[in-house]
Amino acid sequence: MAGIWIYSEDIILAKELVTPAKELAKQAGQKVGAIALDAEGAKELAALGVTKVIVLQSSSSWVEAYEQVVADVLQEEGADIVLIGGTIRGKYTAAKAAARLDAGLLTDAVKVMLENNKLIAERFVYGGLAVTTEELSFPAFVTIPPRSYEIMTAESEQGEVIVKEVTAEPGITVVDVIKTQQQGVDISKADRVIGIGRGVEKLEDLTMIQALADAAGAEVGCTRPICEELKWMPIDRYIGISGQVIKGSLYIAVGTSGQIQHVAGIRDSKVIVAINTNEKEPIFTASDYGIVGDYADIVPALTEALQNAKA
Amino acid sequence: MQNILVCYKWILNEQEIKIDPNTLSLDTSRAKKRISEYDKNAIELAAQIVEAQGGSSIAISYGGADVKQSLKDALARGPERAIWVNDPNSDKADAYVTANALAAAVRQAGDYSMILCADTSADASNQQVPLRLAVLLGIPAITCVIKLDVEGEKVIATRRVGDTTEKISVEGPAVFTVLPEIAQPRFPTVKQVLAAGRKPQLELKVDDLGLESEKLTPKRTLREIKGYTMSRKNIVYKEGTPAEIAAQLVNNLIKEGVI
Ligand SMILES: Cc1cc2nc3c(=O)[nH]c(=O)nc-3n(C[C@H](O)[C@H](O)[C@H](O)COP(=O)(O)OP(=O)(O)OC[C@H]3O[C@@H](n4cnc5c(N)ncnc54)[C@H](O)[C@@H]3O)c2cc1C
Repeated sequence: MAGIWIYSEDIILAKELVTPAKELAKQAGQKVGAIALDAEGAKELAALGVTKVIVLQSSSSWVEAYEQVVADVLQEEGADIVLIGGTIRGKYTAAKAAARLDAGLLTDAVKVMLENNKLIAERFVYGGLAVTTEELSFPAFVTIPPRSYEIMTAESEQGEVIVKEVTAEPGITVVDVIKTQQQGVDISKADRVIGIGRGVEKLEDLTMIQALADAAGAEVGCTRPICEELKWMPIDRYIGISGQVIKGSLYIAVGTSGQIQHVAGIRDSKVIVAINTNEKEPIFTASDYGIVGDYADIVPALTEALQNAKA
Repeated sequence: MQNILVCYKWILNEQEIKIDPNTLSLDTSRAKKRISEYDKNAIELAAQIVEAQGGSSIAISYGGADVKQSLKDALARGPERAIWVNDPNSDKADAYVTANALAAAVRQAGDYSMILCADTSADASNQQVPLRLAVLLGIPAITCVIKLDVEGEKVIATRRVGDTTEKISVEGPAVFTVLPEIAQPRFPTVKQVLAAGRKPQLELKVDDLGLESEKLTPKRTLREIKGYTMSRKNIVYKEGTPAEIAAQLVNNLIKEGVI
């Protein structure tokens, strides 16, 4: 089946991808197909109006190993446009499958459109400094970051689900898989985040920051140097182009300068607040509300004001 | 003993690119080129492995004529020699073209036991060239590597994938993409810089790679590039006591519905 195909090893993300896929399909007068790895999830995709869902089943637990089969299925089906969930594993699959099909791939698309049988997509470059608009010929691969689209409600018309037994040979051996001990929650999913930067002078001040976070119902994240140079927080807590991307309702930047690489990870927040002594810092341009001042004075005052507001 | 190929990209220093606030066009006139930051971590790792276990490393780059200017810096960071592909059309290349050119260059580099790349680049962040390269060369690829241990014929790569750490064992040549934390790049010493000037460099003209024109025709073309601006309220509090400012801010946050 030609048309728009989606793939993600993450079923929630796959369901998000149905939304842009159906928009493109409507424009092109085509259908949406999906490749999934679990049969239960496949039914949910079919219920969202995906016409054909192919479930790949093999004994391989290394998701990356499916890239070859994913490429084979896409080729067999003659897919024109392939939307892949932009996780680490998804981008791996996308790049390899695109290479196998001699196809173009645009990673981390923030917008996709159709125009005269070409896919037009936008993405960020230079660490978030600029946006490019690019054209891809068919078959065109695109990866879309998690939480870019809302999941639609189920449709009356159900698609078909086809289960395929496949062999997925990775060519490597997975020796060990360890779930990293999660210190707290995944900040990329937090609705409110306090982000600390190098302006925070001493480790003890994290107590003050945590009090603010508690009052705001927020998680604490940080800039890259806080993890890499100071090692104050685990590496999965830093926000930015090479770290986590947050998309919650509130971000409060405390003692961060607002370099583009950091801002790239916060700009989808609904409201951004900055606390910084130097009003010339770029973080103020990136904020809705800026407070020029020392965090040591502002943070306790803000904590109290939040507590009062709740009382 | 490892024979390592390490890939790098010669790019504009994005911190020196200015955006015209009216037209949103990019002013790159003051931006100098440099080795992509992330690639420096990969080059450093190659140097550390060779220093610890013997062998050699070759730096490989694809780009325009100006890549020549990068060779000395790359070589000062450790590699014994450099191979670069000179393509006058490299500014239009996408990851498909880049990978095709690099694969052709790799085939001319002789035997290798591993290819190291950064997981991303500081300009385009495409995250695809190393994976495409692996497909073209028919070897495995392991991304997001934070630790690489060579144990005889085997290489054990530790990768960080979100909240999971995976240990992967590979035999035979493979492509590894590394995360910045794997090795802190060195500041080359005067001696290393001087020695770099004497290390062998090989220029490959793109036309001499034997690639069909199809393989050098990008699948992706750039229509437009524009500076990104955020429309934020930019309300700044400067006057008042911390308590007064905090109270005003909280009021606004309540109005916005985020508290
Ligand atoms: C290729 C590349 C990728 C990168 N990726 C990332 C990334 O993903 N994430 C990331 O965060 N960074 C990243 N960086 C680093 C980034 O460029 C910045 O260096 C970093 O974000 C700066 O961190 P910072 O704001 O904590 O520190 P600084 O830039 O040092 O800022 C400290 C701020 O604190 C303020 N301050 C000082 N004292 C006080 C006080 N008492 N009260 C209030 N404010 C005070 C100062 O005015 C200053 O603005 C990357 C860099 C490169 C080159």
